[in-house]
Amino acid sequence: MTTVTTDMPDTTETSPAAAREANERRRALMLLSPGLLWMILFMVLPMLMVIYVSFWTQTTFAVNDTLTTASWERFLSSATYLGAIGTTLRIWAIVLVATLVVGYPVALFIGLFVKNQTVQTALLVACVIPFWTSFLIRVIAWRPMLGTEGAINTILMNLGLINEPLTFLLFSEFSVLVGMTQIYCVFMVGPITFMISRIDESTIEAARDLGASFGTIFRRIVLPLSMPGVIVGAIFVSVMVLGEFATAASLSGRKVNLLGNIIVSQVGSLKWAFAAVAGVVLTIIITAVITLALRVVDLRKEM
Amino acid sequence: MNTNLLKPGLAAYTGLFLLFLYGPLIVLAILSFQGPNGGPQFPVQEWSTYWYQHLFGATDTSRVSQLPVGESLLRSLVLAFMTTVVSTVLGVMSAEAFRVRFKGSGPAFYLIILGMMVPGVLVGLGMALLSNFIGVSRAWWGTAFVLHVVYTYPFAFLVMLAIFNRFDRTVEEASLSLGVSPAQTFRRVTFPIIFPGVLSAMLFSFTLSYDEFSRTLFTIGRELTLPLSIYGTFSVEIYPNLFAFGVLTTVFSFTLLVVYGLLMKRFTAVKSGSYKGQEEAA
Repeated sequence: MTTVTTDMPDTTETSPAAAREANERRRALMLLSPGLLWMILFMVLPMLMVIYVSFWTQTTFAVNDTLTTASWERFLSSATYLGAIGTTLRIWAIVLVATLVVGYPVALFIGLFVKNQTVQTALLVACVIPFWTSFLIRVIAWRPMLGTEGAINTILMNLGLINEPLTFLLFSEFSVLVGMTQIYCVFMVGPITFMISRIDESTIEAARDLGASFGTIFRRIVLPLSMPGVIVGAIFVSVMVLGEFATAASLSGRKVNLLGNIIVSQVGSLKWAFAAVAGVVLTIIITAVITLALRVVDLRKEM
Repeated sequence: MNTNLLKPGLAAYTGLFLLFLYGPLIVLAILSFQGPNGGPQFPVQEWSTYWYQHLFGATDTSRVSQLPVGESLLRSLVLAFMTTVVSTVLGVMSAEAFRVRFKGSGPAFYLIILGMMVPGVLVGLGMALLSNFIGVSRAWWGTAFVLHVVYTYPFAFLVMLAIFNRFDRTVEEASLSLGVSPAQTFRRVTFPIIFPGVLSAMLFSFTLSYDEFSRTLFTIGRELTLPLSIYGTFSVEIYPNLFAFGVLTTVFSFTLLVVYGLLMKRFTAVKSGSYKGQEEAA
C-alpha cells in the first residue's frame, strides 16, 4: 500500500488513500498505546529491574545499589545453584517429552478419529474442565493419590500386588514429574488437536485411495501438519514448567529445587540480589527455549 | 493393516487419559467426606460432611484450625473483577488496533503476548524489586493488580483478535458510509457482533486472576488473596478441610461457567430473534 503513495507525483494535496491510511495508523496507535504502556511499565521495567538488582551488593539483611558482580560469582561457583539449573533443565526436558507422549495419541484420537462435532467438543471440554479447579488444589490432590496411605498404594495393597506401600511415589522427583505432566499435558493436547482437526479430509482419503497405509499417512501427512501444534504446545509447556516452583515445593518434600524454588527461598530470606541472579539465569534459559521454538514456527500466523 | 484396532485402541487410551486427569480430583472429593477423626488419607473412617461444616466454622471445637479463607475470598473476587474490567477494555482496544496493518505491529504483538509467557515468579520478583526501589508499598490492589492485568490482558487480546479476524468489515463500513458516527457505529454495529468474544475474554480474565498465584506471591504485601491463604496451609500438615474447600471452589467455578453458558445462549437467541423481526418488518 505504501508503494502507491510513493509512485504518486508529489503535489501539495495528499491522496485520499494516503490520508486515510495515515488516519488509520494514528487511530491504531492511539488504541494500542494504553496496553503497550501498561506492558512496558509493569512487565518490561520490572524485568530490567531484576537485571539491575542482580548487580547490587548483598549484605546480610538488605541490598544496596553499589554495583558488583559478587552475587554472580557466588551463584556461578555454588554447587547448589548450578545444581538447580541442572534440575530445572532435567525436569523441563522430562515433562516436555512426557506431555507430548501422553498427549499426542489423545489429540490424534479427538482430532482425526472422532468425526462427530459434538463428541469432539465434549471430549475437548472434558480435557479443559479440570482447569476450573484451582491450580493449587490440583497440585495438592496428588498427595492423597500418591501417599503411603493414598489411593494407589491402597488399591495395590488390596489387590495383593505389593505388601509394603511404595514410598517413592510421593515426596520425590517422581511425584513432581507426574503432577506437572498431569497439570500441563492439556496445553499439548489443545494445540495439536486443533492442527490435526484442520487437516483436509480429502487429503487423507486421496492418500488412502492411492494405497497408503495408516503408518504412511501418519508419517507423511498427519505428523508434519500437526508440527505447528506440537511447537505451540511445547512453548506453552516449556514456559510454565521452567517458571515452576509450587508443584516442586508441594510434592517433592524439598527434594527437588528448581530455579523458581531458589528465587522463592532467597526472597524469603531477603537475599534480593541472589534471587535476581537466579531470575536472570531463568530468563536467559526461557528466552533461549522460546527463540529456538519460534525459529520453527511463526506464532502469529498460527493464532 | 491393523487400522481396525487403532481406533478402539486410541479410544481406550483417551479414556485412561481422562482417568489420569480426573483421578486425583475424584480421590480428593471422596476424602473430603472423611469423618471428624480421619486424616487426608485412606481409609475413609466414616462418611460425613464434618469438614464442610468445619470450613464454615459450624463445628464446635476442633483439633484443626479453620482455613483462613473468609476475607481473602472477598479480596480475590474484587481483584478478579478489577482485573477483568481493565484487561477486557485493553484487550478490545488493542485487537481493534490490530485490524489495520501498521508498522511495528509485529513487535507490539509479541510485547503483549509476552505477558502470558513470562513466568509469574520472574515478573513478580521484578515488581517487588521495583516497588522497593521507588518506595511504593506492596498491596493486592496495587502491585498485585497491575501484574494480574499483565497476565490476563494477552488472553483477552487473543480472544478478541480471533473474533475480529472472522468479522466482516463491510458491515461497519456500510454503517460509516451511511453517515453514522464512529462512536455510534461501535456501539450499535461492532459491539453486538463482538459481544460473545468480550464475554469469553471476561471469563478468561476472571478465572485466571482469581486463581493466579505465582505473580501474586511476591507482590501481595500483608493482605493475602485466596490462593496465597491456601498455599500457606501447605507448609503445615494438611487436613480434609482443604479437600472440602477444593470441592467447593470447583463447584463455584462451574456455577460461573454455567452462568457464562446461559448468557451466551441467551444472547445468541436474542440476536436470531431480532433478525426474524427484521425479516417480518421487511
